[in-house]
Amino acid sequence: MKRNPVTLATGALVVLIFAAMLFAFQVRQTEVVIVTTLGRYARSIEAPGLYFRWPWPIQNVHRFDNRIRNLEKKYEQTTTADGRIIVIDVFLGWRVKEPRKFLELFGDNLAAAERNLEIQLRTAKNNTVGSHPLADFISVDPQSLRFDQIEAEMLREIRAATANFGVEIVLLGIKQIGLPESITTKVFDRMKAERERLVKQFQGEGERESIRIRSEADLQRERILAEAEGKARQILGEAEARAAAQLKTFEQNPELAVFLLKLDALEQSLKERATLVLDPRTPPFDLLQNAVTAPGRSN
Amino acid sequence: MSDPQLPPAAPPPGPPTLPPVSAGADDASSQALAEAFGSSFKIVKFLMAGLVLVFLCSGMFVVQPNQLAIVLLFGRPMGTGPDQLKKPGWHWAWPYPINEVVRIPIGEIQTATSTTGWHASIPELDALGREPAPQGILRPEADGYTLTADGNIIHVRATVKYRITDPVRYVFGFAHAPTLLTNLLNNAIIYASARMTADAALYKDKAGFRDLVLERVRQLIAQADLGITLEPSDVETKTPVDVRQAFEEVNAAEQERSRKISDALGYQDQITAKALGEAQAILARAAGASNRLVTAITAEAQAFRDQLPEYRKDPELFRQRLLAARLSRLMTNVQEKFFLSERAETQSRELRLQLSREPVKSEAPPAR
Repeated sequence: MKRNPVTLATGALVVLIFAAMLFAFQVRQTEVVIVTTLGRYARSIEAPGLYFRWPWPIQNVHRFDNRIRNLEKKYEQTTTADGRIIVIDVFLGWRVKEPRKFLELFGDNLAAAERNLEIQLRTAKNNTVGSHPLADFISVDPQSLRFDQIEAEMLREIRAATANFGVEIVLLGIKQIGLPESITTKVFDRMKAERERLVKQFQGEGERESIRIRSEADLQRERILAEAEGKARQILGEAEARAAAQLKTFEQNPELAVFLLKLDALEQSLKERATLVLDPRTPPFDLLQNAVTAPGRSN
Repeated sequence: MSDPQLPPAAPPPGPPTLPPVSAGADDASSQALAEAFGSSFKIVKFLMAGLVLVFLCSGMFVVQPNQLAIVLLFGRPMGTGPDQLKKPGWHWAWPYPINEVVRIPIGEIQTATSTTGWHASIPELDALGREPAPQGILRPEADGYTLTADGNIIHVRATVKYRITDPVRYVFGFAHAPTLLTNLLNNAIIYASARMTADAALYKDKAGFRDLVLERVRQLIAQADLGITLEPSDVETKTPVDVRQAFEEVNAAEQERSRKISDALGYQDQITAKALGEAQAILARAAGASNRLVTAITAEAQAFRDQLPEYRKDPELFRQRLLAARLSRLMTNVQEKFFLSERAETQSRELRLQLSREPVKSEAPPAR
């Protein structure tokens, strides 16, 4: 009987596809896989690629996403070592590391695993926060802050608590630190009071600084002028000293010197708007006296 | 069709006969059926060839200019290192489940925003640029905020822009990398707030606060090996609306303090400059007086030396001549001159002078 080769090839392809569907499976880059035989663990596959298996129900394939997953829990109050109630939220990055353990503990139920992780996270958070005062979380002194240390302690604790979960806690961080609702009101009141104090402080500082600067300015002015007056006196003194050196010249004839000085003094004193009452005998006005008396005598 | 048993001559007369039902008729129908099947097979072959063609063409895919792509072969990335990444353009891959194409938005600048530090709002208010009314309370489930180092409450929002620089890690390493990045931002704003005062974060050192947040984000991204690189980003801080007025009053008081100090410094500059000017004037006057004194005494000494020989020749004559010359010059300057004639010693004389003149006017000479 003659067979068409195309038909044969098509048939073979169809058979191959069905066989592949029954006997092969692929593991994606983002997955780890557990193969069970009649319900018992057979093998783990962590490398991506194409693998073979016996068809269901002999073998079954359980897939787990091995990428880092995010887990967070919101709005839980806890108490610090110094009795302060705070709201602190923490997030986790975790992934399936040992799929066999994970399967035995949680089956294929990822939600169950997350619930258990949440419980452990809450415990680790409460234990760690309870062993630190609030000043370790927030402080104006960076040296006294223990922020990174607290996160590291929580991470250590939850890693220890989930060691048999078949998961790896890759990272942990605090995502919120807050206060209970009722306390926020009190914080606002304190902030307002603090602001009022600052207003008064700034007003006082402004006045004080202004007065201080003005006083210093006045003092500086007096100092500058006093120094200038002193220097002026010094300059004049030096000038007097230089002038005194000329006195030796006048010592050659003190009479002439005194006469010349008197003349200068006389000229200076009668320089402006002077009224002069003279005796006619004063030379050279004595000439006038002779001129006046001569005609009288003749009369 | 012809029957080879009939003679080739003209047909005999008589009633017409039915065509014979024989093996020849079966062959004809079989042949027709075969031809029909043959046609159907041709159609089916054509359809199958078309389906194969469509199947093969379905493997064509385009990587956009802002994308890279990774092709998985049975779940495993094809190639190694940079060869894993398909660049923008046309590519071909076997259809799923043999190959799977994963596209990565490598070129786009993406944005992530922190979620735990900003106040609650609604889109309508945001559109108007307004904030919710003060409630006197913050609810943790709705209102985000951070605690500062001095125990105050502020609102902080970090908005970072980033590019995916390690697409394999970003896509295959994390179930949802943007969510993780958001939490890293939340952590960074808490971390920075915990070590800076409200005044510093809100007003005095906003740049320092922003740098602290972004530095922490970079550090956390590196620790998590998230496969992204931050672009220039922004961090906003805001006073809670409940205490904003109190903060504004402090700012106003601070401004007023600065104004007062600035005024005082201005006064200081002014009065110091004026004092320096006055000092210069005093020194200049002293220098002038000094020069005048020295010059005058020098000139007098010189005059003395010049006149001394003449004086020595006849002192009295010299004195009279000089006195007369000087008086003549003086008399021209003296405004009023009175000469009192001589009387006998027994006769008394009374002289009355009106000396209270009008004050001197600078612009016009005094009227007499």
